[in-house]
Amino acid sequence: MADKLAHFQASFCLDIVAENALLLSWRSEISTAQHNEIIALQTVIEQQLGELIIETIASYHCLMVYFNHQVITSADIIEQIKQLAQYHQQNNKLTDYIPAADCIEIPVYYDTEQKWDLAEVAHQCNMSNDEVIKQHSSTIYRGFALGFTPGFCYLASLPNILHLPRKSSPRTQVPKGAVAIAEQQTAVYPNQSPGGWHIIGQTPLPMYSTKNGQFNAKINVGQNVKFYAISKAEFIVMQQGLSV
Amino acid sequence: MSQHYIEIININGQASIQDLGRLNAQHLGFTASGAADEFAFLTANQLIADHHNITDPDKRQRNCAAIEITLGQISFRANAACIIAITGADCDAKINNITIKNWQCHQLQTNDIIAFAMPINGLHSYLAVMAGVTCQVEQKPWLGSFAQTRNEMALGFTGAPLIAGSKLYFSSPASGLKNPVVPVKANKPISSPKRFYAQHKLTLRVMPSALFLQMPIELQQRFLAHEYIISADSNRMGYRLHLKAEQTRLFDQRILAESLRSRCLLSMPVTYGMIQFPANEQPIILMKERQTMGGYPVLGTVMQTDLFRLSQMRPGEKVNFTLINHQQAQQQLRAFYQRF
Repeated sequence: MADKLAHFQASFCLDIVAENALLLSWRSEISTAQHNEIIALQTVIEQQLGELIIETIASYHCLMVYFNHQVITSADIIEQIKQLAQYHQQNNKLTDYIPAADCIEIPVYYDTEQKWDLAEVAHQCNMSNDEVIKQHSSTIYRGFALGFTPGFCYLASLPNILHLPRKSSPRTQVPKGAVAIAEQQTAVYPNQSPGGWHIIGQTPLPMYSTKNGQFNAKINVGQNVKFYAISKAEFIVMQQGLSV
Repeated sequence: MSQHYIEIININGQASIQDLGRLNAQHLGFTASGAADEFAFLTANQLIADHHNITDPDKRQRNCAAIEITLGQISFRANAACIIAITGADCDAKINNITIKNWQCHQLQTNDIIAFAMPINGLHSYLAVMAGVTCQVEQKPWLGSFAQTRNEMALGFTGAPLIAGSKLYFSSPASGLKNPVVPVKANKPISSPKRFYAQHKLTLRVMPSALFLQMPIELQQRFLAHEYIISADSNRMGYRLHLKAEQTRLFDQRILAESLRSRCLLSMPVTYGMIQFPANEQPIILMKERQTMGGYPVLGTVMQTDLFRLSQMRPGEKVNFTLINHQQAQQQLRAFYQRF
């Protein structure tokens, strides 16, 4: 089983984690440069290996690759991925696959009525509500992974002074559009669901749309995101406008 | 499109529509879902294919949506004559109060009632028909699958949850029901289900993770020496395991050192069969309705053919782990699918 941990170019490890899945893992850290390399390699693998690949899933420091195990062995798919990575790394071609740095703007009605956790967050971080809002809305975040529930995009990194552990006991119901924080991450809950993050506001913007049987997430992995504050009146108008 | 259906008259357990799952939407956050026990699911569709002499090179009948019944206790009425196959946990099924055999095809006439009791062993049973069932007329698959997932039902992409009064429409194109239904002949024997399943205790074969291989041999051995009990809060998402009380006292030393645990803080994609090992050291095996991302350390992955067996095991039953390499696991899975 020595080949389980094939170190490769020192940039990532390649492990066979199931009959039909490989896990590529990089350093366990949140880094835009590293994540750019991950999603660039993801694009290369999907484009070059086509039918052999079932799907690929990127996160902060990992790339899961599901392959068609009825057609190719894990040894052969590993060889192909190594060659692709080597070629693109040596020739610096991965930069061609880095997505454009557009920025999605998300309106947030920050919880000034104290229905959720804004005041508690402010208290724990030793600052005012307004300071929390200012900190949260003055940072440009990056989508690092989609998961947990459809359309839920993990965004990082939150300013250090807002880092808090998850709530000790998760809520059974978080409202649709809840904007929440935990550790170095922030995210929007696409639908009503259980959740253990601290809710500081709510967006009227839907986190996904569906058309012709396709599911389109509002925020995709690799995209940049910025939040901006709106009033309750604006929230209501936008919510109504969007539902008409 | 067929307007023929079977209707749920009574339901006390759980039922859902399942196929082989939504295999390429995990990058959007959708769970893969799919039949908990692929052996029983694929056998049901194979029985249907054999009965109708479907010689389909694409094996399309193989992945047709069937009804997954959990813990029996459900009855249906047929609104048209049809051929069904039943497999999986033995629910002492009856058509109009006459007991019928499990792992076989049967004919239903209009207004026949088919009833499933609570099984004595196992959890999931499957009811399949030609070309599959849907819970809405002319329903299209959602992202490549009809599979229903409890946590995603509220999104409304895969129809309503199955309850009394739900109608399960036959997707069969004309050929299935237009011709008079051919009576069921003596069934061909199928690959023996008894030999596939474990009785009350199962040794799960595991491909060890990189993390597991970094553990001292002595602690690896300790993990493999444990006998775990399936907890009551196990479900289609995950199987939670715990130790017998006396074993907990025996091994007060931890299996996963804090130094190794602390390397696994960031959420990462997880897959079917991964053994998560939270701080309480009670393993969680990820099953078909797992979430797509996880934040717990992973000790390894149970091979898929053993997961099909595990899915039929109940809380209170026992499992332990042994190692297997990925080539062997891959060969077994390939051989498994070649049977269908």
